[in-house]
Amino acid sequence: MNVNASTLNEVATVATPVAGLDPLLEIKNLRIEFRGKSDTIVAVPDLSFRVRPGESYGLVGESGCGKSTTAMAIMGYLGSTGVIARGSIRFEGKELVGAGARELRSIRGRRIAMVYQDPMSALNPVKTIGAQLAEVPLLHLGAGRKEAMEMAAAMLADVRLPDAGDMLKRYPHQLSGGQQQRVVIAMALLARPSLLLLDEPTTGLDVTVEAAVIDLIAELRRRYSTSLLFISHNLGLIAETCDRVGIMYSGEMVEEGGTGDLFRNPRHPYTQGLIDCIPDIGSDKRSLVLRAIPGHIPLPQERPAGCLFAPRCSGFTKGLCDAPALDLERAGEDHLVRCARWQVMERPAAVAPEEADHPDKLADAITLREVTKVYRLAAHKVLKANESVSFSARKAEIVALVGESGCGKSTLARIVTGLDRATSGAIRMAGDNIAELEARDRPRRLLQSVQMIFQNPDSTLNPSHSAAHSIRRSIKKFGVRKGKSAIEQRVRELLAMVRLSPALADRKPSQLSGGQKQRIAIARAFAADPSLIVADEPVSALDVSVQAAVVTLLLDIQKEKHTTMLFISHDLALVRHVADRVVVMYLGKVMEQGTVEEVFGGGTHPYTEALISAIRSPNPDETPRERIRLAGETPSPVNVPAGCRFATRCHRKLGAVCDTVPPPIRRMSETHEIACHIEEAQLRVEPPVYAAANEA
Amino acid sequence: MALQDSIARVEMGTAKRAQRPSWMRIFRSRTAVVGLCLVLFWVVAALLAPILPLPSPTDSDVMAMANPTPSAAHWLGTDILGRDILSRLIFGARTVLFVAPLSVAVAMIVGITLGMLAGYFGGWIDAAISRASDVILAFPVLVIYVILIANIGPSVINIVIATTIASAPGIGRITRGLVLGLKEQEYIAAAKLRSESTLYIMLVELLPNCRSMLIVDACLRIGYTIITIGILGFLGLGLPPPNPDWGGMVKESVTVLNVWPLMSLAPSFAIVSLVLGFNLLADGIREAWKP
Repeated sequence: MNVNASTLNEVATVATPVAGLDPLLEIKNLRIEFRGKSDTIVAVPDLSFRVRPGESYGLVGESGCGKSTTAMAIMGYLGSTGVIARGSIRFEGKELVGAGARELRSIRGRRIAMVYQDPMSALNPVKTIGAQLAEVPLLHLGAGRKEAMEMAAAMLADVRLPDAGDMLKRYPHQLSGGQQQRVVIAMALLARPSLLLLDEPTTGLDVTVEAAVIDLIAELRRRYSTSLLFISHNLGLIAETCDRVGIMYSGEMVEEGGTGDLFRNPRHPYTQGLIDCIPDIGSDKRSLVLRAIPGHIPLPQERPAGCLFAPRCSGFTKGLCDAPALDLERAGEDHLVRCARWQVMERPAAVAPEEADHPDKLADAITLREVTKVYRLAAHKVLKANESVSFSARKAEIVALVGESGCGKSTLARIVTGLDRATSGAIRMAGDNIAELEARDRPRRLLQSVQMIFQNPDSTLNPSHSAAHSIRRSIKKFGVRKGKSAIEQRVRELLAMVRLSPALADRKPSQLSGGQKQRIAIARAFAADPSLIVADEPVSALDVSVQAAVVTLLLDIQKEKHTTMLFISHDLALVRHVADRVVVMYLGKVMEQGTVEEVFGGGTHPYTEALISAIRSPNPDETPRERIRLAGETPSPVNVPAGCRFATRCHRKLGAVCDTVPPPIRRMSETHEIACHIEEAQLRVEPPVYAAANEA
Repeated sequence: MALQDSIARVEMGTAKRAQRPSWMRIFRSRTAVVGLCLVLFWVVAALLAPILPLPSPTDSDVMAMANPTPSAAHWLGTDILGRDILSRLIFGARTVLFVAPLSVAVAMIVGITLGMLAGYFGGWIDAAISRASDVILAFPVLVIYVILIANIGPSVINIVIATTIASAPGIGRITRGLVLGLKEQEYIAAAKLRSESTLYIMLVELLPNCRSMLIVDACLRIGYTIITIGILGFLGLGLPPPNPDWGGMVKESVTVLNVWPLMSLAPSFAIVSLVLGFNLLADGIREAWKP
C-alpha cells in the first residue's frame, strides 16, 4: 500500500503541478455551527487535518462526531442553518471558505466529487442512468451529447457494471443496491476529480457486495490517482483502505496517524476502546469479554471542559484531563494524539469471562423441521422466503442465523414468534407444533415462552408512550406479577437488569438514546420470562461502542436465565463472538450448520468461506488467508437457481451439476452439515479463512 | 444521531422542546398564535353574546331602516329589515361555532374508525371501505351537501349528517395511510407478541401516533365546513330564518351590494376571519409538531 501511495504521489505531481508537495486538501481550525432561531450548536469546534495528493485519508468516528458535517462543509452543503464560523478549507491551494458560488461550482463535482451513503437518494429516480451520467461531462467538461454518452458507457464498464450499453437506458430502481452505488461512484469519477469524498459508501450494502465495492474503489483510485477522504464508522474498512486515519470524537480530532501505526499502537483511550469493543474474529465469548466504552458521546451543548472523552475515560485525572485547551501532541512520527496522559495510559488487558457453569444442554428447546414459507405474489409468481429449513436449538444455547439480506432469516424469526405463519413444516416447542400458529391463535402460555428483540431502536418503542409502558403491559398481560406495586417493583428490577436508571421509566422514547431504547426492548422481552428469545439483528443499528455494551448485557442475562436464543445477524465477527451454533442461510435455504468452531474452522461451505473472508478486522496483523470475491449479486428470491442456490456466485463451482441438481447434505460430523456438491474429503482439506480462528 | 437530532431541533427553533408538554409547543409558532387569537375572538364573542350589551339579532329597528349605515346604536349598521348586523354576526357565530366543530367531530369519529379498519385489516375490508369512499369522493362536496340538505331539510342534525358523509371518506383515507405505515412498526409486533387485543392495538398503540396529523386535518376541515355552511346559507339552505346565519346574511343583502356594501361585506369578513383562524392554527400545529 505504501509503495503504491508513493508512486501515486509522483503521478499526481505530474498531473497537477500546483499541488507539488502541498496538501491537496487542508483544513485548518475549522469551526462549524448550526444556528437556529434560539440556539447555536457547535457541531465541529476546531478541526484541522490535511489530505496529501494521492493519499487515502480515513475519517473515523461514531454517529454524531461531526465527520459527515465536515464532508458537507468541504462540499459547501451545510444547508440554511450551517455556518463556517472560523477557519479555512484550502483545496489545491484555493480557499473554499467564502469563495463565490461560481468558483465553488467549478470545483464541486469537477475537482471534488462525493459518494453518499444512500445511492437511491443520490440518483434521480425519473432519469435514466445514461442521462444522469452524461450530465457530468456535459456540465463540467464541455463535452457534446454523443461524446458524453460514450464517456458514461466507458465509465460504467470501468466500475465493472455488465452490459454498459443496456445499463445506460435503465432507471435507478431497476438496479440493485450494489449496482446503484457503482453508478454513483462512476458519476463521481466521470469528471476525473482529484479528491473523492466517500461518506459511508458501503454501509447499506451486504458484506459480499461491500467487499466488491471496496475493491473497486481501491482499483479506481490506483488508476485515476484520485485522493480519497473516506468517512466511516467501520474501523476494519478504514484499516484496509486508508493510508492515514483521523479519529474524531464529538467534533474533535483525538488521534491521527498512519494506518498501521495507529491501529497497532493506538494512543488515545477512545481509539483503544473503539478497537477493543469490536468482536475479534479469533475469539469467542468463552475466551474474551467485549470491552464496552461506558457512557455515550456528549451532545454538542454538553461538551465537558478539557478532554471531551474524560467522562467516559477510565484514566481520568482531575486537574489534568479537565484543564481547558488540550492540544494534539506528537506521539511518534506522523502520529498525533489529544490526550494529556497518553504516555502513561495503559491499554487494558483483555478480560477472560468467568467460567460459565454448563447447564444441562441436552434437551432440545426448539426444533424446526422442513419449514417452508412461500409468498404468492401473482398467479404464477411465488417467492420462496424459506425452503425446508431444519435445525434445532438446545436449552440455554445461542443459535445464530447468518446470511445476507433476502436470505430469509427475518422471515424465519417472524414465523417462530408467530408474527407470520409457515406454509408447511413443523416447529416443535415443548411438544406443541407452532409452525402454523400465528400469535393470536397461540395460547397465552406459548406466546409467553417466545419473545422477540427487534432490530430498529427507533421503532421498537411506541413514541406516544413512556419507555416502561410496554414492559408494564407485558408483565400484566402474562400475569408475571399481580397488583400495581408488584408490577412497578418488577419494572424496576428489569430496568436494573439492563443497567438503566429507574428514572428512565417515565421518559418518552424520543428522550432516550439508541442504546437505551434497545436496553428497554431487551427488558421488555425478558419481562414475560420467556424460554426462547428471538433477537433479530438486535445491535446492528447501534454504534460500535454501544453495540459492545448491549451484546455483553444480552449475553449476561441469557447466561443467567438459561434462555435459549435465536440470534439473527449479518455480522459474522459478532456471531463468532456470541453464538454456540451457527446456521448459514442463503436465499431461503440452509447452506451449512454446525458449532461455532466448526463453521469458523476449516472445511466449510464456499458461501461461508466468502462471508468469513469479507470480515474486516482493524487489527493489521489479522488478515484472512485470501479475500474471496464473489461474482455478481444475490439473485432475486422470486427467481431462484434450480440446482444449488449459490451456484451463480460460487467460486468453487464444480460444473453443470451445481446448476441443475440440488446439492446433497454432507455430514461432516455429528453436528456439522454442509449442503454442497463438493466431496466431503475435498471440503475437509480447505484450511480456515482466518488463521487465528484455528487456535480458538 | 444525537447530533442530527439536535441540529434538527435548532432548525425548528425548538431546541428544548423535549421538556415542554406538546400542547405548549404550539405557542412557539407565531402562525398558530395568530390563528388561535382569531378563533378565540369569535369563541369568546359567541360565548358572551347573551350578556353583551347588544340589540336583539332578530328585532327590527324601524328607525334605522331608512339609513342602515353604521351609527352609535348600530356599530356595523343594520340589514334591510333593520336588524343589528354586529349582533347578528355574534349570534351567528354561536351557530357556526357549534355546528361546524360538532359535525367535524362526528365525521372524524366515523372516518377514523373506517380508516383504522381498512388500514389495519387490509384485504376485502379495505377494498370495500376504500371503494365506497372513492365513490363519495368522486362527487363534488357541495353537490353532496345541496342534494342532502335540499332533500332532508336544513337542521343542525342534517348538516352533521351531510358533513359526515362528505368528510369521513377523506379522513378515513388519511387514517388508513397512517395506519398502513404504523402497523409495520416493531412496537406493534411487540404488542401482538404480548397478546394485546386488536382494539387495544388500534386505540392505544396506533391512534396516539396519528394524533397530530388528524388534529391538523380536523382544524382544516372545520374551516371548510364553515365555508360550506356559509354557502348553504347563501343558497337558502341554511338554518331557517329568523336565526342569524352568516351565509344567509350575505344572501339577503346581496341585492343592495352597490348601495350598502357593508351589509354583505361584514358577514363575508366574519367567515373569512374564522376560516383563516382555523387554517393558520392548522399550519401552526403542523409546524410545531413536526416530528
